[in-house]
Amino acid sequence: MLTQREIISTLEMLRNEHLDVRTVTLGVNLLDCAGGGLPQVQRRVAERLLGLAGNLVPVCERIGQKYGIPVVNKRIAVSPLAVVGAALAPAELVELARTLDAVAREVHVDFIGGFTALVEKGLARGDRALIEAIPEALTVTERVCASVNVASTRAGINMDAVLSMGRTVKRAAELTAERDGVACTKLCVFANIPEDIPFMAGAYLGIGEADAVINVGVSGPGVVRKAIDRALQADPAMDLGHLSELIKKTSYRVTRVGELIGREVAENLGIRFGVVDLSLAPTPNVGDSVGEIFQSLGLRAIGVPGTTAALALLNDAVKKGGAFASSRVGGLSGAFIPVSEDVNISAAAAAGHLCLEKLEAITSVCSVGLDMVAIPGDTSAETIAAIIADEMAIGVTNNKTTAARLIPVPGKQAGEHAVFGGLMGQSTIIPVNNGAGENAFIRRGGLIPAPIHSLRN
Amino acid sequence: MSKAILSVLGRDRPGIVAAVSRALCEQSCNIENVSQTMLQNEFAGIFIVSMPNGMGAGELHRGLEARLLPLALTVLTKPCEAGEEACTAKACEPFVITTRGPDRKGLVADISEVIARHGVNITRLQAVFKGGEDPGDNIMIYEVDVPKSVDAQALAADLRDRAAALRLDLIFQHRNIFEALHRI
Repeated sequence: MLTQREIISTLEMLRNEHLDVRTVTLGVNLLDCAGGGLPQVQRRVAERLLGLAGNLVPVCERIGQKYGIPVVNKRIAVSPLAVVGAALAPAELVELARTLDAVAREVHVDFIGGFTALVEKGLARGDRALIEAIPEALTVTERVCASVNVASTRAGINMDAVLSMGRTVKRAAELTAERDGVACTKLCVFANIPEDIPFMAGAYLGIGEADAVINVGVSGPGVVRKAIDRALQADPAMDLGHLSELIKKTSYRVTRVGELIGREVAENLGIRFGVVDLSLAPTPNVGDSVGEIFQSLGLRAIGVPGTTAALALLNDAVKKGGAFASSRVGGLSGAFIPVSEDVNISAAAAAGHLCLEKLEAITSVCSVGLDMVAIPGDTSAETIAAIIADEMAIGVTNNKTTAARLIPVPGKQAGEHAVFGGLMGQSTIIPVNNGAGENAFIRRGGLIPAPIHSLRN
Repeated sequence: MSKAILSVLGRDRPGIVAAVSRALCEQSCNIENVSQTMLQNEFAGIFIVSMPNGMGAGELHRGLEARLLPLALTVLTKPCEAGEEACTAKACEPFVITTRGPDRKGLVADISEVIARHGVNITRLQAVFKGGEDPGDNIMIYEVDVPKSVDAQALAADLRDRAAALRLDLIFQHRNIFEALHRI
């Protein structure tokens, strides 16, 4: 027998706290689509995707209606195209990206990820071609997302790839200069990239995955924030240990929703259920912000002293609650601090509370990295590469995923405003301190060796 | 052995269940199911009892009235006949319909009419109307069993249309979402 309290609190989460499933992502293995010329690859890829993803959106809508919980985004992640299209030239890979974009449009998914290369130990021919193709591929398409894994705890940091990605980010921004470098919002550089991320822009289907899989990204920053506010209203003296327990319980609820809906979508599509990604994912909507949680915990804004400790508490509690709620946790399962996508974080950056150095610092506890950070357009490719290298080092040494999604906004300086539109949001451009001048370190190339603790056998 | 179903109504106070169950015991009846609730200050209880051989619902009723009327408790008794369950778990899906919105006459009648028109059974209804315009003060919660032969989305669409005409905010959700959110 349901209680009135259970029902009313559920409605509150839905109506006032933005409870939803942030994304259901269909992973599709395209490895057997390789071979032959471009037309054959394009045909096989399109047929495979249309066959498997044709019902994704209607099924998600139907299941969402059944439970009264919206599935906000429906997406596709495919095998790394640097492998599928290893024999193709850069211009041909751009054409393959167009094919993905057309399929995504046809099946009404908002993003398709997997324009991906895994180069942590070295660059193969197909990897070089894909990286070369990224700027144009992200310019001529709307929905294709790219990611490149340049480092891992087992392999170290491929500094040749890091430098190459600095140049790629710069070029992608230049090609979309009239839209504030929007191509860069669809490009992530990773260390220790997981094989089952449902969130964009990092989603791709790992080499070790099955033919198809459904992964789910839960949401819930609004629900967590309101739970904290209610608890502190009832007991203003509540300490952090009790707040952690409260966040844990709230995370449990949010994760259960994701798992319930993900499993049912998978069952309806006849596809195996993969994982729930426990990351708290904000949107540009007020009340759906990770930044607001920091204020509820008592900080003036995200970025002020205490932020790193607060984030450590927050994400530890989210993981503990989520791990209990779901039998299959995966993906990033970390904190997203996407500056432009979260209205509160964006405001903290504009007010000067949140700087690049603080964003890097919080990566060391549980943030996924420098996400959707707009920087001045005159930042050099070498400096961008150096920022990426620093992020990768944190991931490699701490045995965690880190990522950089930087947007050098062409023609704009620190303090000016960049607008990317839609879910990508808008942001004040953050200064890159000490970024000017030559950086010979980053040009040396080679491999920064794996840390000693990678030798675990 | 035959069964009877009886309902007991009266102003709530300590001792009502004790009085009813003692009266049943004295007539050698065995309680099989009981459900009681309180609305505002009023007690309502429903009992299904098995009666000793030879006893009918009429005789039981007279015996209960003699004991309970002096306590200002009203009793209704009727024979309980075995029948098929309205909707077995396999044939139905449990949904919860919740409405919030300003109070006015006829809300329950209007919403339950739509539910009935689709051949859907209400298994539990909670409604609180404190009056006024605050949606949170005026809430109806219907737990319903929707037969698999019924188009749940069509029912939901009809309910939403009726709710909009009544200025109600209506949500139609499978029961499992509440279990997932609140229970281990």
